[in-house]
Amino acid sequence: MLTRRHMLQSSALGFANLALAGLLSESQAQPVPANPLAPRLPHHPARAKRVIFLFMHGGPSQVDTFDYKPLLQRDDGRPLPFARPRVVSSVTGNLLKSPFRFAQYGQSGQWVSEVFPHIASCVDDLCFIRSMHGSNSRHGGALLELHTGSDTFVRPSMGSWITYGLGTENQNLPGFITICPTLTHGGVNNYASAFLPAVYHGTPIGNASTASERATIPFIQGPTPTGIQRMELDFLSAMNRDRLTHTGPDAALESRIASFELAFRMQAAAPELQDISRETPETLRLYGMDNDPTRNFGRQCLMARRFAERGVRFIQVTHSYKWDQHDQLRRDVAKNALEVDQPIAGLIKDLKRRGLLEDTLVVWGGEFGRTPTAQGRDGRDHNPQGFTMWLAGAGVRAGLAYGATDDYGYYAEQDKVHFHDLHATMLHLLGLDHLRLTYRYAGRDFRLTDVHGEVVEGILA
Amino acid sequence: MTTRLLLSIGLTVLLTMPAFGQDKALDPVAVKFFESNVRPVLANRCFSCHGPEMQKSKLRVDSLAGLLQGGKSGPALMSGKPDESLLIQAIRHGESLQMPPRMKLPAREIADLTAWVKMGAPWPNAKPTVVKAEAEDSEPVFTMAQTGHWAFQPVRKPKTPAVKNQAWARSPIDAFILAKLDEKGLTPAPAVDARTLIRRVYFDLIGLPPSPAEVETFVNEFASAKPQAALAKVVDRLLASPRYGERWGRHWLDLVRYADSNGMDENHVFGNAWRYRDYVVKAFNTDLPYDQFVREQIAGDLLKDDSGKSTDDRLIATGFLSIGPKMLAEDDPVKMEMDIIDEQVDTLGRAFLGMTLGCCRCHDHKYDPISISDYYSLAGIFKSTKTMDNFKVVARWQERLLGAVTSEKQPVELKSEQPKKVDKKAPSGPEAMAVSEGKATDLRVHRRGNHLTLGKEAPRRMPRVFSNLKQGLIDATQSGRVQLANWLTQPEHPLTSRVMVNRLWHWHFGTGLVSSVDNFGLLGEKPSHPELLDWLAATFVESGWSMKAMHRHIVLSSTYQMNAAYNEAAFQIDPDNRLHWRHSRRRLEAEALRDTLYVLGGNLDLTIGGTLFAATNRKYVPGYPNAMYDKYDIPRRSIYLPVIRSALYDVLQAFDFADPSFPSGERATTTVAPQALFLMNGKIVHDQTRLWTAKLFADKTLNDAGRIRRVYLQAFSRSPTDKEITRSLDFVERIESELTRKKTADAHAQAWQSFCRVIVSANEFVYVE
Repeated sequence: MLTRRHMLQSSALGFANLALAGLLSESQAQPVPANPLAPRLPHHPARAKRVIFLFMHGGPSQVDTFDYKPLLQRDDGRPLPFARPRVVSSVTGNLLKSPFRFAQYGQSGQWVSEVFPHIASCVDDLCFIRSMHGSNSRHGGALLELHTGSDTFVRPSMGSWITYGLGTENQNLPGFITICPTLTHGGVNNYASAFLPAVYHGTPIGNASTASERATIPFIQGPTPTGIQRMELDFLSAMNRDRLTHTGPDAALESRIASFELAFRMQAAAPELQDISRETPETLRLYGMDNDPTRNFGRQCLMARRFAERGVRFIQVTHSYKWDQHDQLRRDVAKNALEVDQPIAGLIKDLKRRGLLEDTLVVWGGEFGRTPTAQGRDGRDHNPQGFTMWLAGAGVRAGLAYGATDDYGYYAEQDKVHFHDLHATMLHLLGLDHLRLTYRYAGRDFRLTDVHGEVVEGILA
Repeated sequence: MTTRLLLSIGLTVLLTMPAFGQDKALDPVAVKFFESNVRPVLANRCFSCHGPEMQKSKLRVDSLAGLLQGGKSGPALMSGKPDESLLIQAIRHGESLQMPPRMKLPAREIADLTAWVKMGAPWPNAKPTVVKAEAEDSEPVFTMAQTGHWAFQPVRKPKTPAVKNQAWARSPIDAFILAKLDEKGLTPAPAVDARTLIRRVYFDLIGLPPSPAEVETFVNEFASAKPQAALAKVVDRLLASPRYGERWGRHWLDLVRYADSNGMDENHVFGNAWRYRDYVVKAFNTDLPYDQFVREQIAGDLLKDDSGKSTDDRLIATGFLSIGPKMLAEDDPVKMEMDIIDEQVDTLGRAFLGMTLGCCRCHDHKYDPISISDYYSLAGIFKSTKTMDNFKVVARWQERLLGAVTSEKQPVELKSEQPKKVDKKAPSGPEAMAVSEGKATDLRVHRRGNHLTLGKEAPRRMPRVFSNLKQGLIDATQSGRVQLANWLTQPEHPLTSRVMVNRLWHWHFGTGLVSSVDNFGLLGEKPSHPELLDWLAATFVESGWSMKAMHRHIVLSSTYQMNAAYNEAAFQIDPDNRLHWRHSRRRLEAEALRDTLYVLGGNLDLTIGGTLFAATNRKYVPGYPNAMYDKYDIPRRSIYLPVIRSALYDVLQAFDFADPSFPSGERATTTVAPQALFLMNGKIVHDQTRLWTAKLFADKTLNDAGRIRRVYLQAFSRSPTDKEITRSLDFVERIESELTRKKTADAHAQAWQSFCRVIVSANEFVYVE
């Protein structure tokens, strides 16, 4: 018997399973190659069909955004009244209060700082996890742990695991897309399939240094005019079919014929997908695309919605490495927040009014949080011990604040949620059991959650 | 496959703990404190997982005995010593243990439990306790199924089986293959035609196509009375060509996760890694005996040549240990060091032994007879080896001056005289990523892989399951790398030769006799032809570990020279062709495809070695593609292009280039749309087909049909049929008239370029039969 892995390796069709059955029916000899990206049934009924992960690279400060700490405000300048972790990234001093004002919003009365006025207007749709924690205090390790579950080895990223588990719904597009990903701190390893078959590798649309306006799928455009290219492909197809009569049936050769047709269709579909000129001015405004500070990230969020609409399984949107406030906290937290606040709120509202929020899981967060203690006079150090992420949409309890850090926001203390738990929960919402989503590699069955992870029942709707 | 084996039987010893239960002596105040402030906390917070109903990690905390006895992690309570009690460490949510796992107890409760332990853990009515303790880190007892596993048994050269079709069984290899085919009632496919054969042999041995002239010469000679002699001549010529090492060295580089930058968290330029790459190419080209090749990569810095000298090459060879990806910005230096060591042990295990040793960092291997202490015994060898200058953030790997080691006087003196004054940023000469002897140290077992929970000491030695092999004593001043290298390469080692001949077979045929090429353990696949594997392994050792000798055996066999014809009946019995009833068709690897585009364009630059990567050594690789290098369209062979982890060259990546983050003995072969997009739109495809077209027109002797014929000969190593010529000319004409209609300037040339583009996209080009 062909193993699944072997079949994937030897005859993976890539993005499509075209009419091979007809082609092969003459011989009935070779198995039709299973399309590794065909949609697959989940382990249990899914609440979410797809994920949009809004990644804030650098480590946004929880105590300046969503985790309000009155005692921190009160005790500004005093020493931290408990011990710091054994391993820290930099030396920090005494407690540093947030320079931003907090208020409660919505029916749910969630605390949000003044830097996020638009997100504040959506809090009844959000589910905050205020007790996130990770294991690594450096960007590289923490990014890898957040994206792949391991801060030690190269492992498949969560988007790869999810497309491996569920396939994808639009065979004309990649199943896992990452818009303007970072190439530092693990870079490609954060969206790579590692030992999973390459079809589950994330497809980058641009990168952190590209303006989102210019971000495209690799090799999607070339110098050959479409009409000529069509003639070339027809001739190629004739040659290849001729060759098949010489070789006899061969699933790999047939897959390859199909892959050119798919490529041609992708090429035709891509400009339409990236052409946002048909979006209404109102929609563009909703994402802040009429304003300079929000234009770039606004387009990324709008692209995410367009991919979600078209059935892409996992979409990551990266706000590039800007959230690392070792200094200039007051200035830069405000500036970063300004760039993403309206686009993110616009995305949530847009998904909601189109009915997409019901089966789309939106995840917001960074690789760690920051210390409530001061680095210099106006900065905070990395802090994986306790920070905030939020989820919205399919299957999560809206308007909830789950878990808590200590009185100063340093350590997660109540209902702690590790990255492994977040991964288990994301898979759960997608209908996948993190214990059963395994892949045999180098002599053992690997999981996204390795030997850890528990579904956070408390945030499920 | 998934059958779980009996893992280990822990040895149990009885330890007598000081008896508690001085009930009468208990202070009533203490009793009250316990009943009101301690017992309720334990009951509310802990009993559900560590009580009568459930004993997670074998721990119960509903009696003093349970706490003293402890669970998997050892005793939970040290009376009077809260800081040393696991119970207290856990409720404080210390680094290695956090209980309750998701909810830190209120400060008050933590304080009470701590106070209680400090006052001597008074527990009313506690029975005198005799603690039955699991002996710490007991060695597992391996099962027969484990120790008797085929791959751990000695290699014995089997007799060549007798087969009926002796004419076909030209070599012992063929006899083994034929015997299995006979068993299944299968017959080998017919011999391949000369044109297909020479194309196969060229791509296989040197990764480039034969020229039309080479094809014609071979076709004529192969048709003579001695076709095998003609083939042997070609094989010898190719094996003697520098192109051979560039092809087969690249296979090795996959296995040793070669790259020119660190990747991981801090992507720094490995400005000297290329020396290791060139060493590998040279080793293949000079047919360096494999045992020596292995020894040099593990302990080259310690090996002396015949005149008692070290050599630069051998020092460079130890780059094998150094070029792996490392977390250079890990805040915990001990973890960083252990991660680097782990990466070395894991790569060594997979590359040379086909064993997944990495599993044993945290626990005894679940399937294979390797224990956690075996792992730390090996890890101790690398702990005693210096790979890094330091483990600061950002850490710095070690590089060693070249030229110094060859002259016996200089190096030591230079370093000992002025170690501080030498500016590390400005080496006084060329350097290599290389290791040296460090401070010899044995490691203690790291329970659960954690350096904060240390177990017993694991003296440096080789894994116990191989106890019948010779191993040299490691004295207190040595790392043990020499002993490890010698142990691995003794002819009697059951894995070293088997694993390597299986790799050679895999690289020749696309599938190993053991299809899980990197895993010969209990979860690996069984060999399809165990006797053949042993014959090859024994022959390999007998030949003085000569890889070129093995290539000759394999390529000159009938097995290798079958055609790829489809056979319905055989396919039904053996769809994967594990039994070799035909030759398996294979797609060109990324490098062969790219290199051939340059051959066709006539501009392939065959310069050997050196680096194209001008970036400053150790410089940080910024976060945008091609930041450090953007000249991938240089016409050098692909093996010489920089491999930048985290920013791999997209063309190679699209065609399944091996991820250089971990060892990989087997590349995937996928067929995905991005490959088609590359051939349709990729810049080098356009550039190279343009050059190719220009060359076709530069030859004034060619007419249109002649050009078609030339293209077919160059790309497919065969002539086109009349029908193909007609059809091709018709295509060129139609494209030309379409372009003319659109008033394109050089419609004629562009139409021919279109034709060339289709040719390099064709299955016949991209697949080797």
